[in-house]
Amino acid sequence: MIAKTTDLTRVYRLGASTILGVNKVNLEVEEATLVSIVGPSGSGKTTLLNLIGLCDHPTSGKVFFMEKDTSRLNDTERRNLRLQNIGFVFQTFNLLPTLTALENVELPMALAKKSQAAQREEAARLLKAVGLAKRLQHRPRELSVGEMQRVAIARALANHPSLILADEPTGELDSKTGFEVINLLSELRRKEKTTVIVATHDERVARVADKTYRILDGSITQE
Amino acid sequence: MRITSMCLRNLLRRRVRTSLCVFGVALGIMFILAVGGTTMRYVTIIKEMNVFYTGDVVVVARGSIFIEAIPIGSSLQENTVVEVRQVEGVKTAVPMLFVVGSSAPGSIAQFVPSNITVGIPVGNWSVLVGHAPLMPGGRWPSANSSEKEVVIGVYLAQLHNLTVNSGIRLKNHNLRVVGILDTPSVLLARTIIMPLKVAQEIYGYGMSVGMVVVEPLEGVTEEELADRIEAEILGVTALTGDERNAIIEPILRDVEMWNLGIRGVLFSLSMVLVMTVAIMNVSERKKELATLDAIGASKSYIVRMVITETGLIGLFGGILGVMLGTVAALLVSSFYSSVPLSVMFPSIFAIVPPTMMLEILASTVAVSCVAGVIPAIIVARKSIVELLRSEH
Repeated sequence: MIAKTTDLTRVYRLGASTILGVNKVNLEVEEATLVSIVGPSGSGKTTLLNLIGLCDHPTSGKVFFMEKDTSRLNDTERRNLRLQNIGFVFQTFNLLPTLTALENVELPMALAKKSQAAQREEAARLLKAVGLAKRLQHRPRELSVGEMQRVAIARALANHPSLILADEPTGELDSKTGFEVINLLSELRRKEKTTVIVATHDERVARVADKTYRILDGSITQE
Repeated sequence: MRITSMCLRNLLRRRVRTSLCVFGVALGIMFILAVGGTTMRYVTIIKEMNVFYTGDVVVVARGSIFIEAIPIGSSLQENTVVEVRQVEGVKTAVPMLFVVGSSAPGSIAQFVPSNITVGIPVGNWSVLVGHAPLMPGGRWPSANSSEKEVVIGVYLAQLHNLTVNSGIRLKNHNLRVVGILDTPSVLLARTIIMPLKVAQEIYGYGMSVGMVVVEPLEGVTEEELADRIEAEILGVTALTGDERNAIIEPILRDVEMWNLGIRGVLFSLSMVLVMTVAIMNVSERKKELATLDAIGASKSYIVRMVITETGLIGLFGGILGVMLGTVAALLVSSFYSSVPLSVMFPSIFAIVPPTMMLEILASTVAVSCVAGVIPAIIVARKSIVELLRSEH
């Protein structure tokens, strides 16, 4: 089991009112699987991914990552866990605009203090794996949106994470490119033996996923 | 990817903003150096004069002002020297005549005069120059010479292209340069030293002198001797070394305080400018910083990144400011001393010493780094989720 949540709840306070982002969510994610969390906009998908990805703290309930109760971890331990074991793919790619594709992919490895040579070699390999061997020295603004998302996927794979969290990875892409990205994630999950959780409203993801959770108003409605 | 390289690229991404900020910092530094360099130069010159007449008592006419080595105001009758020599405890008493002039007729008031004529009885040169040597080929004026002989300071020699045996004309008198004083002293380097009688004749001082330098006998303190002279001779003031310094020290202290004040204000303004730019930069890159946080960058990495960026602005602003400030200090010094830039240029490191440049540069970088602390803390305290939600 790579990730597990028990009664996971996240409540936001906005002034006097409270918003239930995630409500008592229980889910289990097996290793090397592709899991989709499907739901409409505002249903709590991103909140759930942020909680699983240790970017946010639950109001109640627990997140277990690789059998470890993450509520017991301090900020540094959570950060190290993110750095070494979790890769993120964002809807808007979130590539650093001043860095080349190669440097963007090198960044997580640099943060993990890998040698310069190892960073360069691995980043080039990953970019080749996502079909961008000829785009290594291009900056994000010189890439198409599909290519940017591929760079983001390569970056997510940089430190050989156990888990990749992709938040609406096809949200900014046309249907053809979106389909290619989904296939790429599915293929990489097999090749790199990585678990992938995709939060999406794109039903096509559900079709290729090993397991699908449907979420509505912060609660899992269907498995 | 090195953090410095990343920060440089981030700064270059907003070229106009970065350039304006760097220029703003540079202007502040330029002002600090131009004002600080120039005034501190004169403070140093005046302080340097403290070494003159060490251990001696200086007698001037009552009501005269005495600024370090030079008396300004009324003169004394030459027979005062005889009276002084008769006071108990006096070993030697050497009269001197000071005439402060300017090499540029009609020039504006100067902080440091271009030339100063000093008349001293032949053979008593060391009272003023101490052990300063003459350049090879030179000698001191002779009492028996048929010509009016002078020794000039090295600065005057360079300024007017004079050598030993050059002739100069002063107040319609022809003078012969017989020696060039090789000295780092700003005062002595600008001095025309001649026998007292010659100086009195040229400047029409008759039997007057500017001051008398009195050496006490062994066992007699400066204070005791000064008190005796003032008690026994009417119309004179006898100044000990401490009293001479006490006249100028409050002024120097004020100058230094003003300099510190100007420096403080300009550094604060630079800090506010850099901080404002850093806050703008950080606000526009929340998503980037959140991404770094999400993929595992430590808070300290993000803080370091912001501080490095502001530090780099300080470094570039400081370098540019030091360059502009040095040129400005040179121009100001040249303007106020009526010395051509070409002559002033070799003294560039005397006006703005390298240590001062480095100190200002280091201070600018330090202040800029401090300016980055608040924006860095602001961003580091925000949660990833909050930052990811932002539009930028």
